[in-house]
Parts: sequence; structure tokens; C-alpha cells
Amino acid sequence: MLLTRKGQSGQRSPDRFSSSLTDSLSRALPTMDRRTFLKRSGIGIGAGIAVSQLNLIQEAGAADDKPAGKAKVEVRRTVCTHCSVGCAVDAVVENGVWTRQEPVFDSPINLGAHCAKGAALREHGHGEYRLKYPMKLVNGKYQRISWDQALNEISARMLDIRKTSGPDAMFFVGSSKHSNEQSALLRKFVSFFGTNNTDHQARICHSTTVAGVANTWGYGAMTNSYNDMQNAKAIMYIGSNAAEAHPVSMLHMLHAKENGTKIIVVDPRYTRTAAKSDQYIRIRSGSDIPYLYGMLYHIFQNGWEDKKYINDRVYGMDKVREEVMKWPPDKVEEACGVPEAEVKKAAETMAMNRPSSVVWCMGQTQHTIGNAMVRASCILQLALGNVGISGGGTNIFRGHDNVQGATDVGPNPDSLPGYYGLSTGAWKHWAAVWGVDYEWIKKQYPSQALMEKSGTTVSRWIDAVLEKNDLIDQGPNVRGLVFWGHAPNSQTRGLEMKKAMDKLDLLVVIDPYPSATAAMAAMKVDGQQLNPNRAVYLLPAATQFETAGSVTASNRSLQWRERVIEPLFESRTDQMIMYQLAEKLGFGKELVAKLKLVPGKGGMMEPEPESMLREINRGTWSIGYTGQSPERLKAHMRNMHLFDVKTLKCKGGKDPLTGYDLTGDYFGLPWPCYGTPELKHPGSSNLYDTTKHVMDGGGCFRANFGVERDGVNLLAEDGVYSVGSDITTGYPEFDHVLLKKLGWWDDLTEEEKKAAEGKNWKTDLSGGIQRVCLKVHGVHPFGNAKARALVWNFPDPVPLHREPLYSTRPDMVVKYPTHDDKMSFWRLPTLYKSVQQKNLEAKLHEKFPIILTSGRLVEYEGGGEETRSNPWLAELQQDAFVEINPKAAADRGIRNGEYVVVATPTGARLKVKALVTPRVGPDTAFMPFHFSGWWQGKDLLADYPEGAAPIVRGEAVNTATTYGYDSVTMMQETKTTICNIERFTA
Amino acid sequence: MARMKFICDSERCIECNSCATACKNENEVPWGVNRRRVVTINDGVVGQEKTISVACMHCSDAPCMAVCPVDCFYRTDEGVVLHNKDACIGCGYCAYACPFGAPQFPSKGTFGLRGKMDKCTFCAGGPEENGSQAEFEKYGRNRLAEGKLPACAEMCSTKALLGGDGDVVAEIFRTRVIHRGKGSEVWGWGTAYGKAPNQGAAPTGKKS
Amino acid sequence: QDVKTATPAQSPAPQAPPPAAGVPNVESVDILKQNQAERSRDQPGNNAPVWREVKQGERHYSSLPGLESGVLIQPKARFLGQDRALTAGEAWRQYRNGPLTLFGAGVILAALLAVAILYFVFGKIRNKEPPTGRSIERFTVVERTVHWTVALSFVTLAVSGLIMLFGRYLLLPLTGHMLFGWLTYALKTVHNFVGPVFAVSIIVFFVLYVRDNFPAREDMRWLLRFGGLFGGREPSAGRFNAGEKIWFWGGLVLLGLIISVSGFVLDMLVPGIVYSRSNMQLAHIVHLVGTTLMAAGAIGHIYLGTIGMEGAYDAMRHGYVDDTWAKEHHDLWYEQVQSGEIPRVRTRPRPGDAPAPINA
Ligand SMILES: Nc1nc2c(c(=O)[nH]1)N[C@H]1C(S)=C(S)[C@@H](COP(=O)(O)OP(=O)(O)OC[C@H]3O[C@@H](n4cnc5c(=O)[nH]c(N)nc54)[C@H](O)[C@@H]3O)O[C@H]1N2
Ligand SMILES: Nc1nc2c(c(=O)[nH]1)N[C@H]1C(S)=C(S)[C@@H](COP(=O)(O)OP(=O)(O)OC[C@H]3O[C@@H](n4cnc5c(=O)[nH]c(N)nc54)[C@H](O)[C@@H]3O)O[C@H]1N2
Ligand code: HEM
Ligand code: HEM
Ligand code: SF4
Ligand code: SF4
Ligand code: SF4
Ligand code: SF4
Ligand code: SF4
Ligand SMILES: [Mo]
Repeated sequence: MLLTRKGQSGQRSPDRFSSSLTDSLSRALPTMDRRTFLKRSGIGIGAGIAVSQLNLIQEAGAADDKPAGKAKVEVRRTVCTHCSVGCAVDAVVENGVWTRQEPVFDSPINLGAHCAKGAALREHGHGEYRLKYPMKLVNGKYQRISWDQALNEISARMLDIRKTSGPDAMFFVGSSKHSNEQSALLRKFVSFFGTNNTDHQARICHSTTVAGVANTWGYGAMTNSYNDMQNAKAIMYIGSNAAEAHPVSMLHMLHAKENGTKIIVVDPRYTRTAAKSDQYIRIRSGSDIPYLYGMLYHIFQNGWEDKKYINDRVYGMDKVREEVMKWPPDKVEEACGVPEAEVKKAAETMAMNRPSSVVWCMGQTQHTIGNAMVRASCILQLALGNVGISGGGTNIFRGHDNVQGATDVGPNPDSLPGYYGLSTGAWKHWAAVWGVDYEWIKKQYPSQALMEKSGTTVSRWIDAVLEKNDLIDQGPNVRGLVFWGHAPNSQTRGLEMKKAMDKLDLLVVIDPYPSATAAMAAMKVDGQQLNPNRAVYLLPAATQFETAGSVTASNRSLQWRERVIEPLFESRTDQMIMYQLAEKLGFGKELVAKLKLVPGKGGMMEPEPESMLREINRGTWSIGYTGQSPERLKAHMRNMHLFDVKTLKCKGGKDPLTGYDLTGDYFGLPWPCYGTPELKHPGSSNLYDTTKHVMDGGGCFRANFGVERDGVNLLAEDGVYSVGSDITTGYPEFDHVLLKKLGWWDDLTEEEKKAAEGKNWKTDLSGGIQRVCLKVHGVHPFGNAKARALVWNFPDPVPLHREPLYSTRPDMVVKYPTHDDKMSFWRLPTLYKSVQQKNLEAKLHEKFPIILTSGRLVEYEGGGEETRSNPWLAELQQDAFVEINPKAAADRGIRNGEYVVVATPTGARLKVKALVTPRVGPDTAFMPFHFSGWWQGKDLLADYPEGAAPIVRGEAVNTATTYGYDSVTMMQETKTTICNIERFTA
Repeated sequence: MARMKFICDSERCIECNSCATACKNENEVPWGVNRRRVVTINDGVVGQEKTISVACMHCSDAPCMAVCPVDCFYRTDEGVVLHNKDACIGCGYCAYACPFGAPQFPSKGTFGLRGKMDKCTFCAGGPEENGSQAEFEKYGRNRLAEGKLPACAEMCSTKALLGGDGDVVAEIFRTRVIHRGKGSEVWGWGTAYGKAPNQGAAPTGKKS
Repeated sequence: QDVKTATPAQSPAPQAPPPAAGVPNVESVDILKQNQAERSRDQPGNNAPVWREVKQGERHYSSLPGLESGVLIQPKARFLGQDRALTAGEAWRQYRNGPLTLFGAGVILAALLAVAILYFVFGKIRNKEPPTGRSIERFTVVERTVHWTVALSFVTLAVSGLIMLFGRYLLLPLTGHMLFGWLTYALKTVHNFVGPVFAVSIIVFFVLYVRDNFPAREDMRWLLRFGGLFGGREPSAGRFNAGEKIWFWGGLVLLGLIISVSGFVLDMLVPGIVYSRSNMQLAHIVHLVGTTLMAAGAIGHIYLGTIGMEGAYDAMRHGYVDDTWAKEHHDLWYEQVQSGEIPRVRTRPRPGDAPAPINA
């Protein structure tokens, strides 16, 4: 009698059903008055009412309304692991099973909102398509092995490689998916193994931004926040498709737009972001500098620049101006295809609607001249006086959920955590923090020189394997590779990667979804030699939902993830794997010298995330990762409702659990959060903002490049200082000497003095110097300088346009050629001109007349193995495809939905479906890069470890991408290469 | 009594598909059944592209309900159109009749075998006892009974999708329109039927 | 069919003109023809052109594979006799629930009424003369088997189909949802599978029976005299009379074909067909018209084949008719049998068979 439960069909006997529902609703709905409704739907922001103005009502917590059963229900607050927006999620766990996912309306970052990936997180509680136990490749097939066997064999192999070829024969690809704690631990792990050959996604993501921006004004990070963008009067997205890549940021942007903010989108494609713009400008991929200079041309011509700001706070703008004047409108149009009126209109919008903000992403960074492009954008903002201002800034949307954190404290080849670099001083600083002997670390390395020399980058590990030994700038070639949370199909030149993979002696993949690498390694390529001694291991890592830890969002806010569930299957947390491997490799004790060990999965010991964060706190003074103690972060997570959506500031309130007073804190203590946690620095929501006191997150540009150059003052001019500063002009960074000179030394306590002697603001482990600067004198420990429009230590001090190595425009290549080849760059020979010249001579543009660019789809993330294993997402994008313009398609007789072949100069031929769409212009094609599992038309299903293949597989664009690397950071060129598209004939 | 309605604000919708996945997640909807889907009009055409998310609109004079051979639909007091899977014969007529393509079937329909119809329940479950296991297995969660709004609308990345009491929803939308000073037409019931169907909220942004 | 396509695979690109960089196309000032870009320029925020397009029911972009996932609203449709176009689903619903249901109910009631009149006014058609005791094999085992297959499958289909159509009004109030749902579910499933059986069996029926169903000279007269319904001797007829032939050609062949084809479409068994909602609606309408007409015909036919006419059912059941019956109803055929042109027994007896029940 199922129907009678709620009565018969509504039409004939409505009363019975409705009365029962009324009953239930009268119990449930009264909590949903208008305000609750507004909150639940996150509407406040939409209606122009700041959510924090609403009196917040205790939600009907998911735990209270559990279904009939008597299950033990807990709610764990975590953060989406997919992108840098950092959306919070409440996970409902019943008897250890993740049963539901509730939006966190209180989060000032996302107000409960998610994109598809965030809304599908709970699938991680099933993990059906994950690797379930360690596996080893035996005779072309993956076989299950035990953890013990795996760890023993892997460590034996690693030790053997170290013994026979030295530690630099290993390369460790870390991960921006790791928590801050795991990232920092991995850098330590690699150091103790004795190499700097380690890297992670940031290299192929925002490395050019980090380098370019840090060299311009101090820190390589997003200056403001998604929230602060609500204060902008105009926003220009250039090379960012936020609607797909940072969807929840659009919540703030569209709200701003409704209040009058003008939106400009500059992109070769008419993206979903462009669809929300007031002005869309289609540029040719790779022509950002001409376009930006085109804007600056009009700005300078019309005197729209902020002259006082430039005078007081910017160095070298005159030199830039000279270059800009070489880009009159006709040349701009020639280079980017944008008519004068369009460029001028954009310039005017940005100039007349200040504060205006610029957003860029991969469209700018992933080029051989990425470092120059991002600086051109910085220069635009400096010219308009937009940096260091609420509503302005360069809002660089970062990539992975913790790519910011992993960049800050993680496995970088050129630096120890906190951008300390690899100098002796840096090593000593960290040795002290880690509680190990500096000399011991030195002994782990082949030499002090190699210890202080940047390693190879993830974009080039294939060359470190394949390149002739005498051409590489380290002893051995790389023989062993660990992919510790990184996909293979995210690096360019796939055909060569396969060669490198086959040549390795050891390949270890530590990942919940190692399958793309696994399949690629197992796959056989006809005629290609396979190293008979190669060993391939897959280790199932736990996800971030199976451990706790902190994660740094794009806006530099740190959030603490609670553990949602126990590691599924046989998976183990990354910190446990690091510790266990270190034990086998002989440096387990050192790795955890200052860390607390706690029992983890199966009672085995692992370092405790809280104590790992405290170690970061103890060491990372340079970028203010010192104030974010686990206690403070957890208090923030528990009290999200206390933070204002627009300013991220807590207007007042105490954490009921600990009594911690959150008043004045910015949400997530966005770094820099200087000093010890006790100093209670509130974090910095907008960088370089002089309108605030340094103890309220205010600041100025960093003095990192000296005080003077060629007789020109590099420090800020008189009258530029953050509110309340004791010094009202520019000043250098602080160290014990300056403190003494100023007579401030005695502001330190006796103990602080002891620690600070001989130290500067970054190396003083007591935090005394920072405390005195900030709290006592209101000055910024890193000094007060000018931003550099001219970065003299870069190959092009003033950003110059240079054509990509593979271009469809020979005329432009001749006019704007690339750099000269470099013989030794991050340990490898790196080609520019010779490749470009060869391509020109071979007339490649005739055979490959279409620009091939690549990027993101909202449903998938990164290499995509994880998201393509999630049925809720996979269903939404079932085929790899190439976007091709109707005209280009018609010329080739290609119809929508058919298979086509995308051919590139590498010889790769990708079989994908055609999406015929005017999103792209006739000269451009676009492929999402999230697919893998097909290899030039062949499905690799049989090569996957059994049960661990993703649901959707497809052709990876990077199988076909070409050579090309940024001249500063070794960023790979993925955004501009060339291809042809043909009909597929079987 | 509240009359539940959806509005999708195409000025905000960015085709992020959060609504579609949120629904899958919350209601454990199987592969192939899409209670909600997202459609882009004039895809890639400069200045003309708009995206809309669509699910069952819980029509007032619902064609699906009228046409069902076994009369298994019913309407709750809040205007939510629900159906009884035990009675459903999987004939597909509701799908032919529904202007919005809301009814979905777990199998392909060869020999007319479609399985039981499934569609958006406004996260209000089905005829079984509120919050019961049987209800969950057949219809997904009953969020309304828990005092929550539909999962899709709650998780919408840009708050383009509003779901709830028609009056409130319409008022919110109207506020937004006033802020924008423009653009009052909206994806709602009236789009298919030409007019606001009932005394409830007119989804045109006006309060009736 | 399964591609994420902006437009159906047939047409390569969306209709909209390819855009120039950044500048909306200006194609007209006619406000009704303005595209969205033009409208946004002239009246920012006015999205009327988009809504106009939405209502046209075109297929737009949706990443979700599926035939109609890109259709927001069904296109407009207007079925025969409807006074204005409506969203197809709505039009179809009105059509099915209105005219089609009424029509179906009408013809079926009409047929029942006709049968009732026949029975009560004219009475059962009896043999005028006593049986001779001699029999003729009218239908062989094969013929009877096929007929029974046709008959039984038809009845199954009709009962199940009509319950789908009318049960909601007639049965549901008596049984309640649970029982009715289960019953209808069972019947519907049976219908879906028996349909093809019926379709195949009418083809075999056709092959077996077509030879004797070609129109003949005497058929006209038979018809003009309504088969002797209003008295007098029954007009001459061959093995099958004109009425039967009409049933054969009109009912079995024409309606059978229509019903089967539309039924196969509804069963999604026809390769190469786009199973869109509009095609299904069409198939359904065709099916419904065909089936109700045929059901009405079948009522008459079955009446005559059972209680309506003495001796007819024997032929159906046992295959043999008495000479008297043959003489009275199919005189020309009887003569052929008498003259030996057609053997009295067409089934060749096999050893062991019981002797044919003829007193020959
Ligand atoms: N759904 C989803 N979201 C993600 C990710 C994901 O994988 N999936 N990954 C995260 C990561 S790691 C990152 S780094 C971010 C990246 O986020 P985005 O950089 O915004 O994403 P992309 O799609 O790579 O590139 C952005 C745009 O650059 C355009 N473009 C291409 N060439 C050029 C050019 O020469 N100049 C300009 N101006 N534009 C150009 C492309 O057309 C594209 O629309 O997204 C993060 N968010
Ligand atoms: N052609 C082209 N190529 C590109 C880009 C492009 O736009 N075009 N974009 C580039 C950019 S910006 C980036 S950031 C990269 C991204 O590319 P990748 O970062 O290589 O891709 P992901 O798949 O995100 O890799 C993350 C891996 O970490 C695993 N993982 C997740 N959580 C954990 C964990 O807790 N522990 C461990 N051990 N593993 C975990 C995931 O399963 C996944 O395999 O791709 C780059 N490549
Ligand atoms: C219970 C159901 C049925 C009964 C009792 C029945 C009975 C009969 C009888 C007795 C005859 C022979 C008439 C004669 O000998 O002249 C006949 C002929 C015929 N029956 Fe049926 N019938 C039934 C169902 C059907 C059905 C459902 C169909 C088709 C859909 C059908 C199609 C025909 C045709 C076409 C003929 C005429 C033979 C011809 O003209 O070739 N019958 N039926
Ligand atoms: C000849 C006798 C038949 C009759 C009297 C008949 C009658 C009906 C009726 C009345 C309906 C229901 C329409 C409604 O409720 O709106 C229906 C539906 C249907 N019929 Fe038939 N039909 C017949 C033959 C067939 C055949 C031969 C097939 C297939 C080859 C078929 C397949 C279907 C299908 C697929 C449906 C849709 C019902 C569903 O799938 O739930 N029918 N039929
Ligand atoms: S992927 Fe990014 S925008 Fe989407 S839910 Fe996760 S954190 Fe938020
Ligand atoms: S949208 Fe479709 S399924 Fe929903 S009530 Fe209306 S007609 Fe029925
Ligand atoms: S499929 Fe089910 S709900 Fe839809 S009309 Fe048929 S019986 Fe009714
Ligand atoms: S209201 Fe609930 S059932 Fe309906 S589409 Fe939204 S999430 Fe799915
Ligand atoms: S979640 Fe919101 S913005 Fe995203 S597709 Fe759905 S309605 Fe549009
Ligand atoms: Mo990235």
C-alpha cells in the first residue's frame, strides 16, 4: 500500500497528501522564514544586501535532521580540492561514510555556491575508480602487491640510483594538490634525499606570474581577493576564463556587474566569461603585449595615467613609455587584429572607472614570453595607479586548490619554503627550523654547489632523461621519477614524454588516481625501445578528504580542512608515505625531527598535520606564514559567519569553543600574516595597501632590489607610507643593523635580542624584528619601495613582444623574433631562435595554418583523471573535442560532431570530435586539455590497472603540443602552437 | 501556502553545471538520468550567448499529469509536482507532453522498456514517508521536509538559479532587476506557456 | 547522435552569423528581427530576441549528450483540427486527452452499438436450412493457427492498449492506484512485446489469405445489398465475401500496417529513426487513430465470427463448415468445392491422423 502513505493522487484527493506534507513542513519550514531563505539561497549578495547584514540564523544543521536510522552523524568542514577559489563544504558523515554534502552559506568566499566540481565532491566518498592497493608493472600488466613489498622495492631502487648515479638522477614531481603541510614536508624530503630536482604544477601554471609579479613589486601572488573585486568599477579579464576555471568567483563579479562594474574580456575565444562582459575583444593568441601596449598608448596619449602614483611608487615607467610609443594603433591591429576603437574604448573604460582591476590567468602565463606578458599587465595597473588599492590590483586567479600554498612552501627546484632560495643562509635557516644539522643535509648532497643550484623543472624532466649527458648541467641524467600527485598529460610534448618514460629505470606514481601515468607507461609504442630494467610502481595515496591540513586559496587565505573520512581502501596519506619511505631511505628520524607523530591508518604512525603547520609557522617569515597557527585557522573555519563578504574582515566576535577573539582578522589570515600567532596580525586581504595600518593588513611595495639603481631612488618617495607608520618615506627592509641605527633595538625583549642578533626580518626566528616593526612603529618589515616597471634582471627588462616559436604569422616572426638559444638554463639547453628559424624555413605555417590553443572545461580539472572518474562529472563531457570555427570547418568539409584529426608539427595525430562553434575565430582552434587515455586514436583501456580506469577517456592535447619554454621560469608554451585539422577517415 | 517555483537568471548563469551535479549528488541520480540540465543559446555568438538551467518547472496545469495513463502524478500544497514510481508504467507519455523535457528514464526504451520515470522533485521526495529510506531510494532527498531548499539552487555558483517560494523568488529577482535597471524577462513557467499560469508568483519579476 | 553538439549533426553551425571580433553584427533595425547583440546595444538588458529563439524550440548547445538535451522548450505544433499552435507537448497532450480520446471512445462505442443493434434488431444470422452433415474444410490448421495468433494477440493488444487509454477513467476509480498501476504496468509490458508478434502474424495471415481476397465481380453487388442484411438471400460470394475482404484489406492490411509501423516506432525498434519527442507524438497519434478504428472494426468482426453468425465460429475453431453454411454464405465458393475445383479437404492426411470429420 505504498500510495497511501501520503494519500492518493493529488488531483483526486489532494487533502491527504498535502496534510501529511503540511505536517512535516510545519515542523520544518518555520525555520525558513524570509531571512533563512535569503541565506540558504545565498541571495543576500545577489540582491545587493551584504549577507553579513542579515541577522544570521542557526541553520537547521544537517546533523539534526538525519533520516530515520540511528546512525552516528557528524559534520566535517572541508574545502573543495579542485581550484583555488577555495569553496568550503560541509561533509555529512554517517558511521564513517560520507553520505551528504551541504553548502556552507557562511563562507565569505563562496556563500554556499559551487561549480560542478565542487558540487560533485562527495563522490570522493565512493572512490570507485580509484587505485585501491599498491601495484607493480609486471610484463606489461599491473599486479597487486603489498605496501611492504612496494616500499621495500622502491626504496631499494632509489638507493641504488643514488649510489650509482647520485641523487640528482632522481626527480620528484610534487603536487599543488598537497596541503601546505604535505608540500613543505615533501620539499624537506627531497632535500634530505639530496637533490633539488623537484617541482610541481605551479611551474606549468603561474610560474611566470610568480616570477614576474614578485619582481615587479614584491610578492608573487594575487594582490586582492575575489571578494574585493566587488569594489572594482571596471575589471578586465585577459587570458582568464573565470566562468569555467574559477566559476564561483563569478558570484562576486556578477554581483559587482549588477552594481555597475564594467567588464572587459580579452581572449582569443568568446568564452563563457566573455558572454558576461560589456566588451569582448578577440585577440590573436600570443599577442597580449601589443594589445596591452595598445591600451597604454591611449592612456599615455590622453594623459590618463596616474602621474603622481607613477612618480611616487613606480620605477622605470619612462623606459616602458618609450616602448609603448612603438605600438601605435595600426601596429597593434596588425599584431592582435583589434581595431583602434576597440582598444581605445577598453583603455578608456579602465581609466575612467577607477579603481579598476585586471585579471589574468593561463592565457598570459603559458607562453615563451609569459614573464613579459604578465609584467605588461602589471605595468598597465601601475600606470593607472591601481595597485595597492581596494577594487584595483592584479587579480591573478591561481590554479589548483593549493597551488598558492605549494608555491609558497612546497617543492620548488629553486627555493626552500618561503622563497628563501637555496643560498647557504637559506639552508641554515631551514636546518634550524627543521631541527637538523646543516652539515648533515650538506652531506646528503653530492656537493654544496649542487645543493645551492636550482634543479630541473617539471616541464623539462623529459629532457633531463633524454638529453645527451654532456649537454646537461648536472652529473647524471634523470633515471628515476616520482609523480607524487601530478598528471603526465599536463606537460607538453607527449610523444617525447613517452620516450622518456620508456627510458626510465624507476617510475613511481603516488596518487589516488595514478592511472593516466600508469596507462601511458604500460602502453607499447611500435618500434620504441623500452628499458628492460624499468620498474613501475603505483601507490594509492589518500585524498585531501582523508587527512587534515591547511590549504591556501588564490586570495592567500588559508583554510583548515578537517578529515572527512578514513583513507579508503589501502590508501595512505601522503605524509605517512613520505615518512615511511624516508625511514627506508635512512632519514626518517631527521624528517620528523620536530614533528609530532600520531597514529594514522591502521595504527601506523604519521606526522600530525597541526605540528607540520607549526613548523611552517616557525620558519616562513618571509611571506608571513607565521601567524596562521592551526588554532587560529580552525577558529576561522568554525566562525565563518563572522566575516564580511566584501572586506573579508571580522567585525567582532569570539570563537565559542576556545574564546579566541576574531575581531579584526581577515578570513583565513591571508598571507602575509606576520609575526607569531600571539602578535595577532590579522592577515593582509589586499597587498601593498597604504591606506591601512600594517597591523591591519596594510602595506607598501617591497624593497627587495636595493635602494638605488643608476642613481635613481628605488624606495618610495616622501609621503608614501602605510597609515600610522613612524617613517613617512621609503625605507629598506629591516635587519638588526637598521633596527639599531633607528634606535629601535631596545624595543626587543632580551630574549628576542638574542635571537635577532645578526638576523633580518626573515631569519629572526623569534619574530621580534617583525613585532617591533609592525606593532611598535607601524612600519613594514620588508621595507617600502617602488614597484619596478623595469625589471633589469629579466631577459627583457621592458616587456617586449616576441612571436611564439610556432607561429602562423611568418611576417610577424620576422619582425618580432624570439630570444637566442640558451645553453644551460635550469640545467638544460633550451632552444628559442633555432627552433623558430627552422620552422620559418620549413614554412610550417602552410601545413599547419591554424593556431592551436588549449585550456579548461568547467567539469574537469587538470589532467582530468580524477574528475573523469567521477560519474556525476564525466557524464557531462563524454568526448574529447576541438573547437573549430564554422568557416574553418566548412573549408575542410568538417561537420559538427564528427571525428576529426588534429595534426601538429610533432607528428602527432589526435582523433577528437569537432565542435563547430564561433567561440573561436577562423584562425584558431581550441582543445580542452583534461583528457587522456587515448593515444593517437587508440583507447588505452587495456593498459590501465584493472578497475582503475576513468569513465571517460579521450585524446590528450599535450600528446601533440610543441616545444617552447618561458625565458625566465621554464613555463611550457601551451597556449599558442599550430595545427591542422582534417576530416577523419578510418 | 508557499508555491514553489524556479527562476533561472540568464544574466548570471555561466553554464557551470553545478546545479546538474548537485542534483546528482544529493539525489543519487544514476548516469543517463538528468533531472536538470544546462543549455546555452547562441553558443559562442558574440553578444548573443545566454545560458539557462532547466528542470521540471512544476507546472500549474501540468501536461505530464494530465496525460499520465495511470494518473500517478500529484501536486503538493506548495505546487510541487510529484509522482508515484510504484504506479508509473514507464510509458513515456509525460516526456512527450512536457514542454521542458523534464521527465527522464533510466533505460533506452527499446520495446517500450524505459523503467520508471524520474524527474526533478523540487527536492521534495515522493509519496513515501518523509525522509524514509524508501523515499530516498526512489526519489532522492526530501530537502523541503528538512527545511532546506533544492540542492541545485542552493549550490548554484552564481545564484542564477533561484528556487523556492514563488513570491520570494520573484521579489529577489525583481530586486536584482532594479539593481541592473533592466532585463526583466526570465526563464520560468511563462516561457513555455506564454503567461503566468496561476495566482502564484508570476515569474516575470512582477509580484502578482 | 551522442555528440555534444551545438546544433544537430546535420547542420554544421549555429544559424547566427559568424561574429566579427568584438563587434556585434548589425543586420537590421526591424525590432522583431533584431538579434540579441543588436538589442543589447539598443536596449541594454533586453533579452527578448533570445526568448524568441528559445520559444522556437530549436536545439541549442548542451554539453550533455542526448538527442534533445539542447532543446529548452519543445517547438510549437498544431495537430489536425487544433485552432492554434502550442508547445508541442502541450498540443499533443490536449490532442490526446481531448479529440483522440473522444474519438476513440466514440468509434468503439459506435461499434458496440452497431453490434448491439445487429444482435437485438436483426438477431443472430442463422442458417436457413438444416445442416447437411457434410462438411467442407474451410480453414486448414495452419490458417487457423495464424488466425488465432492474430486474434489472440489483437485482443491482448486491444485490451492492454485500451486500458492505457481509458483505464484511468474507467478502472482506476475502482481499483485504486496501486492495483491499477501494477495491472497497467503488466499490460503495457505485454502490449510492447505482443505488438511485434501481432505484426508478424498479420504478415503471415496476409500471405495465406491474400489469394482469395482479391476483389471480384460479385463483391460490388454484395456490397450494394449490404450483404443481404436487410432481407432477401445473401448475395453471392466467393470464399470470402466483400465485407470480409474489406476487413481484410482495410482492417488487417491497411490499419494493421499503420498500427504496426507506428507501434514499432513507439517501441523504438525501427532503425534509422530519430526518436525525438515530436516523432513519438506523431507515431502515437497515428497509432491511436489506427488502433481505435481497428478495435471498432474488430468488435464487429468478432461479433460476426462468434455469436453473430451461426457456424462461423466452427470454422474458426475446427476448420470445417457444413455444406449448408457454405451454400448460404459463400455460394460461389461452394460451387467450386462441389465442382472439385477446390478440394473439400485441403489438408493431406498423414498416417495416423484421425480421419477428417467429413461425411464425404
Ligand atoms: N574547471 C576547471 N577549473 C580550473 C582548472 C581546471 O582544470 N578545470 N584548473 C585550475 C588551474 S590549475 C588553473 S591554472 C586555472 C586556469 O584558469 P584559466 O587560465 O582561466 O583557464 P584556461 O582555460 O587555461 O585559459 C584561459 C583563457 O586563455 C585564453 N587564451 C589562450 N591563449 C591566449 C593568449 O595568448 N592571450 C590571452 N589573453 N588569452 C589566451 C583561452 O582562450 C582561455 O579562454 O584554472 C583553475 N581552475
Ligand atoms: N595544453 C595544456 N596543458 C596544460 C595546461 C593548459 O592550459 N593547456 N594547463 C597547465 C596547468 S595551469 C596546470 S596547473 C597543469 C595541471 O595539470 P596536473 O596538475 O598535472 O593535473 P591534475 O590532474 O590536476 O594533477 C593532480 C594529480 O594529483 C592527484 N591528487 C589529488 N589529490 C591528491 C593528494 O592528496 N595526494 C596525491 N598524492 N595526489 C593527489 C590527482 O589524482 C591528479 O592525478 O596542467 C598544465 N598543462
Ligand atoms: C476472437 C477473435 C476472432 C474470431 C472469433 C474470429 C473469427 C473469424 C471467423 C469465424 C472468420 C471466418 C469467417 C468466414 O469463415 O467467413 C474470420 C475471418 C477473418 N478474420 Fe477473424 N476472428 C477473430 C479475430 C480476428 C482478428 C483480430 C482479425 C484481424 C485483426 C481477424 C481477421 C480476420 C479476417 C481478415 C478474416 C476474413 C478472412 C479473409 O477475408 O481473408 N480476425 N474470423
Ligand atoms: C492491433 C492492435 C493494437 C491496438 C488495439 C493497440 C492499441 C494501443 C493503444 C490504445 C495504446 C495506448 C495509447 C494511449 O494510451 O494513448 C497503444 C500504445 C502502444 N502500442 Fe499499441 N495497439 C495495437 C497494436 C500495437 C502493435 C502492433 C504494436 C507494436 C508493434 C504496438 C505498440 C504500442 C506501443 C509501443 C504503445 C505505447 C505504449 C507504451 O509503450 O507504453 N501496438 N496501443
Ligand atoms: S572547483 Fe573551485 S569554484 Fe568550483 S567548487 Fe571547487 S573551489 Fe569552488
Ligand atoms: S515541467 Fe514537465 S514534468 Fe514538470 S510539471 Fe511541467 S509538464 Fe510536468
Ligand atoms: S511514464 Fe510513468 S509517470 Fe510518465 S506518463 Fe507514463 S506512467 Fe505516468
Ligand atoms: S530541485 Fe532537487 S530534484 Fe529538482 S533539479 Fe534541483 S536538485 Fe534536482
Ligand atoms: S549552477 Fe547556476 S550558474 Fe551554474 S549552470 Fe546551474 S544555474 Fe547556471
Ligand atoms: Mo594551473
